[in-house]
Amino acid sequence: MNGLLAAPRAWIETFGEIAGFCGQVLGQVFGGRVFRFFGEALRQAGILILSSTLVICGLVFIIGLQCGIEGAYFTRGTGTPTYAGVFAAWCDLRELVPYAFGYMMAAKVGTGIVAELGSMRISDEIDALEVMGINSMTFLCATRLLASWMVLPFVYIASVRSGFFASYLAVVVQIHEVSAGGYSLIFWMFQNPPDLLFSAIKAMAMATVIVLVGCYYGYNARGGPVGVGTATAKSMVLNIVAVHLIGMLGTQIFWGANPRAPIGG
Amino acid sequence: MSESDFEKGADAPRDDDVELLAQDADTEAPELEAPPAGPPATVPSTSTDVASSRISVVSEPVARTDDEEFQWHTGTKHSVEGVEDAIEFLDVHKAFGRNRVLRGLNLGIPENRISMILGPSGTGKSVCIKHMVGLLYPDQGDILVHGESVPNMVDDELFDMRRKFGVLFQDGALFGSMNLYDNVAFPLRQHTDRGEEEIAEIVNARLREVGLGEANEMMPNELSGGMRKRAGFARALVLDPDIVLFDEPDSGLDPVRTALLCELIKEIHEENGGAYVVITHDIASARRVAEFIAVLWRGRIVESGPAADLFASENPFVRQFLSGESQGPLGME
Ligand SMILES: Nc1ncnc2c1ncn2[C@@H]1O[C@H](COP(=O)(O)OP(=O)(O)OP(=O)(O)O)[C@@H](O)[C@H]1O
Ligand SMILES: [Mg+2]
Repeated sequence: MNGLLAAPRAWIETFGEIAGFCGQVLGQVFGGRVFRFFGEALRQAGILILSSTLVICGLVFIIGLQCGIEGAYFTRGTGTPTYAGVFAAWCDLRELVPYAFGYMMAAKVGTGIVAELGSMRISDEIDALEVMGINSMTFLCATRLLASWMVLPFVYIASVRSGFFASYLAVVVQIHEVSAGGYSLIFWMFQNPPDLLFSAIKAMAMATVIVLVGCYYGYNARGGPVGVGTATAKSMVLNIVAVHLIGMLGTQIFWGANPRAPIGG
Repeated sequence: MSESDFEKGADAPRDDDVELLAQDADTEAPELEAPPAGPPATVPSTSTDVASSRISVVSEPVARTDDEEFQWHTGTKHSVEGVEDAIEFLDVHKAFGRNRVLRGLNLGIPENRISMILGPSGTGKSVCIKHMVGLLYPDQGDILVHGESVPNMVDDELFDMRRKFGVLFQDGALFGSMNLYDNVAFPLRQHTDRGEEEIAEIVNARLREVGLGEANEMMPNELSGGMRKRAGFARALVLDPDIVLFDEPDSGLDPVRTALLCELIKEIHEENGGAYVVITHDIASARRVAEFIAVLWRGRIVESGPAADLFASENPFVRQFLSGESQGPLGME
């Protein structure tokens, strides 16, 4: 019996540790300590913009094309090709853009943070920071979180645009069963600004969790280069699970009770 | 080891016998165990005996009582006249799991002197340094820096206290994401309001001192181990700290550079003063720069005091270690 309980107990312990760690980092951001290292936060923000915007927008573009194609053929099948915009609008904004964003964040930014902080940990760089009288958790983790909050909403909006554009290309230019005006009318009828806000909230929740999990696994890496590798893998697993949980919860909360669709009553 | 090895030492038992006996009859074991149990003074004479000296190297019994294990640890401290201790270790114990690294360490590092901590590889010298700056906490005991207890400090006090320190880690610990110049400038940028020009002046001077004036723009991963050491050395000194900890500044350097580095340490110390703690394996360096020496072994101080006293010490372990001989209390274990 004890043996059976060992694994879940270890998970709960890890979860508790991660929660404690996140609490500390969030405290340093909201408590304003992080602004002592605002320069470092800006530097991290710059790195995020330069290294991640394109690849995130690219992935979302591909997803947008897919949503457009699926939507166009599905609505043609049901005899309502003018409604291709409904499928595209929901598919893009509500579900797949946040997921694609989450995946790319986990794969690029999350693992990047684990690898970077982990290698700093094992080569005593974090100790060196501490010894210089610098709070390493603030300097390394809180600044990254702040940077991601400063930058990622804009990156996200940019990626949503690229997704919309891709769907438009697929439905109107490639398959061409609706006119540009007809598509746009339906497309915009089936979403409104609060939807964009909800979608962004979903994405930012994902980003926050991913950055924090990445910081936790990197900052606490042990056991040399192998340990950093293991930590990277673990963080990726946890992040992918978290992305789906947040996606599901977000859809339930924001659209589960009220689909906000202008159909019928 | 074959039977014949024991023939000369007729009364020396086989090594596995010793272990068995030592396990179930602690009182008898010391009599049977010829070499290490004798009083310190007799060891130099017995170590000429082939058989017994081999036994002392190859099959040192694993289960030992504290008395045997610490028989050379007189803990004698030849005090330095008229100088207070900058750093004190009071009966510090530290274990990593079952590996007991520090086992009742008592050590005082005098103010305004260059002190050296010597000791065999893996005895906990680096661990000792990490305790001084609060990177590790003792399981038991206390560490005082200028009279203040490090383990009892709250975070903010600890960060303030650490600004007194300049530390060179064993592997340099340069920031991999910054080039050499930025690495050395980092403490200045974080802790002072100096302008970039002033910073550039200080940093370039420090880098030239260690012979890296030309390597400004290089990233740490493009440097050799010795270059990284020297850069870490420059970074540790850039804020003119009160207490300087160098973990093997000379390992990985060629003999000439080692000698030059020793000169540099002495020069900078003369200029700035403060307590310098240097860990080294190089006895020649110790002879050159050390004013105070502490010998660490098995988590305790064997002997400590002014360099001259230690080099003249009668303690067999200290003598063996400072002359680098293979014969004596210390084996490969
Ligand atoms: N973080 C750690 N976790 C577990 N064990 C450790 C840790 N740091 C050090 N040790 C153990 O403590 C002991 C002493 O290590 P330490 O690095 O202090 O040796 P050292 O005296 O500096 O040796 P060297 O001269 O080779 O550098 C070793 O047995 C090592 O395995
Ligand atoms: Mg060491």
